[in-house]
Amino acid sequence: MARAPTTFDSFNAIAEPRRRAIIESLIGKEMTVNQVVETMGWNQPMVSKHLGVLKQVGLVSERKQGRYRVYKVNAAQLKPIQEWVIQFEQYWMNSLDHLENYLNEIQSIEVKDE
Amino acid sequence: MSNSNKQMVEPSIITREFDAPRQLVFDAWTQVEHLKNWMFPQQGFTCEYVSAEIKPGGTSLHKMTAPNGHEMWLLTKYEEVNSPDTLVFRQYMSNEAGDILPNMQMPNWPKEMRATIKLEDQNGKTKLQLIWQPIDPTKEEAEAFEASRAQHGNGWGAGLEQLTRYLGTL
Repeated sequence: MARAPTTFDSFNAIAEPRRRAIIESLIGKEMTVNQVVETMGWNQPMVSKHLGVLKQVGLVSERKQGRYRVYKVNAAQLKPIQEWVIQFEQYWMNSLDHLENYLNEIQSIEVKDE
Repeated sequence: MSNSNKQMVEPSIITREFDAPRQLVFDAWTQVEHLKNWMFPQQGFTCEYVSAEIKPGGTSLHKMTAPNGHEMWLLTKYEEVNSPDTLVFRQYMSNEAGDILPNMQMPNWPKEMRATIKLEDQNGKTKLQLIWQPIDPTKEEAEAFEASRAQHGNGWGAGLEQLTRYLGTL
Protein backbone atom coordinates (compact mmCIF):
# COMPACT_ATOMS: atom_id res chain seq x y z
CA MET A 1 0.00 0.00 0.00
CA ALA A 2 1.25 3.48 -0.81
CA ARG A 3 2.23 5.65 2.12
CA ALA A 4 -0.85 7.44 3.34
CA PRO A 5 -0.28 11.22 3.51
CA THR A 6 -2.61 11.57 6.48
CA THR A 7 -3.99 9.18 9.03
CA PHE A 8 -7.66 9.80 8.53
CA ASP A 9 -10.08 9.75 11.37
CA SER A 10 -13.64 10.88 10.92
CA PHE A 11 -12.81 14.43 11.83
CA ASN A 12 -10.05 15.17 9.40
CA ALA A 13 -11.88 13.18 6.76
CA ILE A 14 -14.47 15.95 6.92
CA ALA A 15 -11.86 18.71 7.18
CA GLU A 16 -12.04 18.83 3.36
CA PRO A 17 -15.06 20.96 2.36
CA ARG A 18 -15.85 18.79 -0.70
CA ARG A 19 -16.20 15.75 1.52
CA ARG A 20 -18.60 17.61 3.78
CA ALA A 21 -20.59 18.59 0.69
CA ILE A 22 -20.77 14.93 -0.38
CA ILE A 23 -21.99 13.87 3.06
CA GLU A 24 -24.63 16.59 3.01
CA SER A 25 -25.79 15.47 -0.45
CA LEU A 26 -26.12 11.89 0.79
CA ILE A 27 -28.14 12.70 3.90
CA GLY A 28 -31.40 10.79 3.85
CA LYS A 29 -30.84 9.14 0.46
CA GLU A 30 -28.68 6.64 -1.38
CA MET A 31 -26.82 7.57 -4.55
CA THR A 32 -24.53 5.94 -7.08
CA VAL A 33 -21.19 7.54 -7.91
CA ASN A 34 -22.72 8.90 -11.11
CA GLN A 35 -25.61 10.46 -9.24
CA VAL A 36 -23.15 12.16 -6.87
CA VAL A 37 -21.18 13.34 -9.92
CA GLU A 38 -24.34 14.86 -11.40
CA THR A 39 -25.47 16.42 -8.13
CA MET A 40 -22.11 18.00 -7.33
CA GLY A 41 -21.02 18.79 -10.88
CA TRP A 42 -17.50 17.46 -10.25
CA ASN A 43 -15.61 14.91 -12.29
CA GLN A 44 -15.93 11.25 -11.49
CA PRO A 45 -12.33 10.60 -10.31
CA MET A 46 -12.64 13.42 -7.78
CA VAL A 47 -15.94 12.10 -6.46
CA SER A 48 -14.56 8.56 -6.27
CA LYS A 49 -11.46 9.72 -4.43
CA HIS A 50 -13.46 11.56 -1.76
CA LEU A 51 -16.00 8.75 -1.43
CA GLY A 52 -13.04 6.41 -0.92
CA VAL A 53 -11.74 8.44 2.03
CA LEU A 54 -15.22 8.69 3.54
CA LYS A 55 -15.65 4.93 3.15
CA GLN A 56 -12.24 4.29 4.72
CA VAL A 57 -13.26 6.05 7.94
CA GLY A 58 -16.74 4.52 7.86
CA LEU A 59 -18.65 7.75 7.28
CA VAL A 60 -20.28 6.34 4.16
CA SER A 61 -20.98 2.75 3.28
CA GLU A 62 -21.69 1.14 -0.08
CA ARG A 63 -23.80 -1.76 -1.25
CA LYS A 64 -24.20 -3.42 -4.61
CA GLN A 65 -27.43 -2.86 -6.45
CA GLY A 66 -27.37 -4.72 -9.76
CA ARG A 67 -24.45 -3.33 -11.77
CA TYR A 68 -24.04 -0.30 -9.52
CA ARG A 69 -22.71 0.50 -6.11
CA VAL A 70 -24.90 2.81 -4.10
CA TYR A 71 -23.54 4.94 -1.28
CA LYS A 72 -25.22 6.14 1.87
CA VAL A 73 -24.22 8.06 4.97
CA ASN A 74 -23.38 5.91 7.96
CA ALA A 75 -25.28 7.84 10.62
CA ALA A 76 -23.75 5.96 13.56
CA GLN A 77 -20.30 7.26 12.61
CA LEU A 78 -21.55 10.79 12.04
CA LYS A 79 -23.18 11.07 15.40
CA PRO A 80 -20.00 11.54 17.47
CA ILE A 81 -18.86 14.25 15.06
CA GLN A 82 -22.16 15.99 15.28
CA GLU A 83 -21.94 15.83 19.06
CA TRP A 84 -18.48 17.40 19.05
CA VAL A 85 -19.44 20.11 16.63
CA ILE A 86 -22.49 20.81 18.72
CA GLN A 87 -20.44 20.77 21.85
CA PHE A 88 -18.31 23.66 20.72
CA GLU A 89 -20.79 25.75 18.79
CA GLN A 90 -24.18 24.89 20.12
CA TYR A 91 -23.00 24.14 23.62
CA TRP A 92 -21.79 27.67 24.21
CA MET A 93 -24.53 29.33 22.17
CA ASN A 94 -27.14 27.54 24.29
CA SER A 95 -25.33 28.16 27.55
CA LEU A 96 -25.15 31.87 26.74
CA ASP A 97 -28.91 31.83 26.08
CA HIS A 98 -29.37 30.43 29.56
CA LEU A 99 -27.08 33.07 31.00
CA GLU A 100 -29.15 35.78 29.32
CA ASN A 101 -32.43 34.36 30.65
CA TYR A 102 -30.95 33.98 34.08
CA LEU A 103 -29.62 37.55 34.19
CA ASN A 104 -33.00 38.90 33.07
CA GLU A 105 -34.74 36.82 35.69
CA ILE A 106 -32.62 37.82 38.68
CA GLN A 107 -32.66 41.48 37.69
CA SER A 108 -36.45 41.55 37.47
CA ILE A 109 -36.60 39.98 40.95
CA GLU A 110 -34.24 42.66 42.29
CA VAL A 111 -36.44 45.41 40.85
CA LYS A 112 -39.52 43.91 42.52
CA ASP A 113 -37.69 43.76 45.84
CA GLU A 114 -36.93 47.45 45.82
CA MET B 1 10.00 25.07 24.95
CA SER B 2 10.04 25.61 21.21
CA ASN B 3 7.90 23.69 18.84
CA SER B 4 8.81 23.88 15.14
CA ASN B 5 5.53 22.22 14.17
CA LYS B 6 3.47 24.87 15.88
CA GLN B 7 0.20 25.40 14.07
CA MET B 8 -1.47 28.75 13.80
CA VAL B 9 -5.18 28.45 14.36
CA GLU B 10 -7.66 31.28 14.16
CA PRO B 11 -9.68 31.40 17.37
CA SER B 12 -13.45 30.97 17.23
CA ILE B 13 -15.33 33.91 18.66
CA ILE B 14 -18.92 34.28 19.79
CA THR B 15 -20.12 37.78 20.66
CA ARG B 16 -23.20 38.51 22.74
CA GLU B 17 -24.74 41.52 24.45
CA PHE B 18 -26.43 41.19 27.81
CA ASP B 19 -28.82 43.69 29.34
CA ALA B 20 -27.04 43.58 32.69
CA PRO B 21 -24.18 45.44 34.38
CA ARG B 22 -20.70 44.08 33.72
CA GLN B 23 -20.02 43.15 37.35
CA LEU B 24 -23.13 40.99 37.48
CA VAL B 25 -22.21 39.21 34.25
CA PHE B 26 -18.73 38.57 35.60
CA ASP B 27 -20.16 37.24 38.88
CA ALA B 28 -22.46 34.95 36.90
CA TRP B 29 -19.32 33.30 35.47
CA THR B 30 -17.39 33.12 38.72
CA GLN B 31 -19.83 32.42 41.54
CA VAL B 32 -21.33 28.98 42.01
CA GLU B 33 -24.71 30.29 43.18
CA HIS B 34 -25.02 31.92 39.74
CA LEU B 35 -23.21 29.29 37.65
CA LYS B 36 -25.43 26.41 38.71
CA ASN B 37 -28.45 28.25 37.30
CA TRP B 38 -27.26 28.59 33.74
CA MET B 39 -24.11 26.58 32.93
CA PHE B 40 -25.72 23.73 30.99
CA PRO B 41 -26.19 23.19 27.27
CA GLN B 42 -29.91 22.44 27.04
CA GLN B 43 -33.14 23.27 28.84
CA GLY B 44 -34.17 20.52 31.20
CA PHE B 45 -30.60 19.82 32.32
CA THR B 46 -29.58 20.37 35.90
CA CYS B 47 -26.16 21.57 36.95
CA GLU B 48 -24.39 20.91 40.21
CA TYR B 49 -20.93 22.11 41.30
CA VAL B 50 -19.18 19.63 43.56
CA SER B 51 -16.09 21.81 43.91
CA ALA B 52 -15.20 25.34 42.91
CA GLU B 53 -12.02 27.26 43.51
CA ILE B 54 -12.47 29.97 40.95
CA LYS B 55 -9.15 31.81 41.06
CA PRO B 56 -5.93 31.64 39.02
CA GLY B 57 -4.57 28.08 39.32
CA GLY B 58 -7.82 26.83 40.83
CA THR B 59 -10.27 24.31 39.44
CA SER B 60 -13.97 23.59 39.52
CA LEU B 61 -15.84 20.35 38.87
CA HIS B 62 -19.47 20.33 37.86
CA LYS B 63 -21.99 17.74 36.83
CA MET B 64 -24.66 18.27 34.23
CA THR B 65 -27.58 15.85 34.27
CA ALA B 66 -29.74 15.39 31.19
CA PRO B 67 -33.50 14.83 31.49
CA ASN B 68 -32.91 11.14 30.67
CA GLY B 69 -30.51 10.86 33.62
CA HIS B 70 -27.31 10.88 31.56
CA GLU B 71 -24.53 12.57 33.53
CA MET B 72 -21.64 14.56 32.13
CA TRP B 73 -18.80 15.92 34.22
CA LEU B 74 -16.69 18.92 33.29
CA LEU B 75 -13.45 19.97 34.91
CA THR B 76 -12.49 23.62 34.56
CA LYS B 77 -8.98 24.93 35.23
CA TYR B 78 -8.86 28.67 35.75
CA GLU B 79 -5.89 30.68 34.49
CA GLU B 80 -6.98 34.30 34.88
CA VAL B 81 -9.80 35.67 36.99
CA ASN B 82 -9.74 39.46 36.65
CA SER B 83 -12.92 41.05 37.95
CA PRO B 84 -14.87 42.51 36.20
CA ASP B 85 -13.66 42.00 32.67
CA THR B 86 -11.53 38.91 31.97
CA LEU B 87 -11.78 35.20 32.68
CA VAL B 88 -9.48 32.59 31.12
CA PHE B 89 -9.99 28.86 31.60
CA ARG B 90 -9.55 25.41 30.10
CA GLN B 91 -12.38 22.93 30.24
CA TYR B 92 -12.18 19.14 30.02
CA MET B 93 -14.60 16.24 29.92
CA SER B 94 -13.89 14.31 33.09
CA ASN B 95 -15.27 11.65 35.39
CA GLU B 96 -16.81 12.33 38.78
CA ALA B 97 -13.38 12.27 40.41
CA GLY B 98 -12.22 15.06 38.10
CA ASP B 99 -9.91 12.78 36.08
CA ILE B 100 -9.70 14.06 32.52
CA LEU B 101 -11.16 11.62 30.00
CA PRO B 102 -9.38 11.06 26.70
CA ASN B 103 -11.58 11.40 23.66
CA MET B 104 -11.42 7.92 22.19
CA GLN B 105 -13.70 8.56 19.27
CA MET B 106 -11.92 11.65 18.01
CA PRO B 107 -8.18 11.12 18.40
CA ASN B 108 -7.48 14.21 16.32
CA TRP B 109 -9.74 16.58 18.22
CA PRO B 110 -7.60 19.20 20.04
CA LYS B 111 -6.59 17.83 23.46
CA GLU B 112 -6.70 21.23 25.09
CA MET B 113 -8.66 24.38 24.42
CA ARG B 114 -8.36 27.75 26.11
CA ALA B 115 -11.48 29.85 26.53
CA THR B 116 -11.24 33.58 27.17
CA ILE B 117 -14.24 35.58 28.32
CA LYS B 118 -13.93 39.32 27.76
CA LEU B 119 -16.55 41.71 29.11
CA GLU B 120 -16.97 45.30 27.96
CA ASP B 121 -19.23 47.86 29.55
CA GLN B 122 -21.49 49.51 26.98
CA ASN B 123 -23.71 52.10 28.66
CA GLY B 124 -24.99 49.75 31.32
CA LYS B 125 -25.21 46.80 28.97
CA THR B 126 -22.40 44.29 28.68
CA LYS B 127 -20.76 43.00 25.54
CA LEU B 128 -19.33 39.52 25.97
CA GLN B 129 -16.77 37.87 23.74
CA LEU B 130 -16.19 34.16 24.12
CA ILE B 131 -12.95 33.28 22.40
CA TRP B 132 -11.68 29.75 22.21
CA GLN B 133 -8.58 28.30 20.69
CA PRO B 134 -6.74 24.96 20.72
CA ILE B 135 -3.52 25.01 22.76
CA ASP B 136 -0.41 23.95 20.79
CA PRO B 137 -2.43 21.81 18.37
CA THR B 138 -0.85 19.25 16.09
CA LYS B 139 -1.52 19.64 12.37
CA GLU B 140 -4.33 17.09 12.58
CA GLU B 141 -5.87 18.82 15.58
CA ALA B 142 -5.71 22.20 13.85
CA GLU B 143 -7.52 20.71 10.83
CA ALA B 144 -10.16 19.09 12.99
CA PHE B 145 -10.79 22.38 14.77
CA GLU B 146 -11.07 24.21 11.45
CA ALA B 147 -13.51 21.59 10.20
CA SER B 148 -15.75 22.06 13.22
CA ARG B 149 -16.22 25.75 12.60
CA ALA B 150 -19.85 26.28 11.74
CA GLN B 151 -19.57 30.02 12.24
CA HIS B 152 -17.26 31.08 9.49
CA GLY B 153 -18.93 30.09 6.26
CA ASN B 154 -16.60 27.24 5.40
CA GLY B 155 -18.06 24.84 7.93
CA TRP B 156 -21.21 22.83 8.08
CA GLY B 157 -23.50 25.82 7.91
CA ALA B 158 -27.03 24.90 6.93
CA GLY B 159 -25.89 21.34 6.43
CA LEU B 160 -25.34 20.98 10.13
CA GLU B 161 -28.92 21.93 10.90
CA GLN B 162 -30.11 19.45 8.31
CA LEU B 163 -27.82 16.83 9.78
CA THR B 164 -29.03 17.58 13.28
CA ARG B 165 -32.65 17.21 12.22
CA TYR B 166 -31.79 13.99 10.45
CA LEU B 167 -29.92 12.52 13.39
CA GLY B 168 -32.73 13.61 15.66
CA THR B 169 -35.13 11.36 13.77
CA LEU B 170 -33.01 8.22 14.26
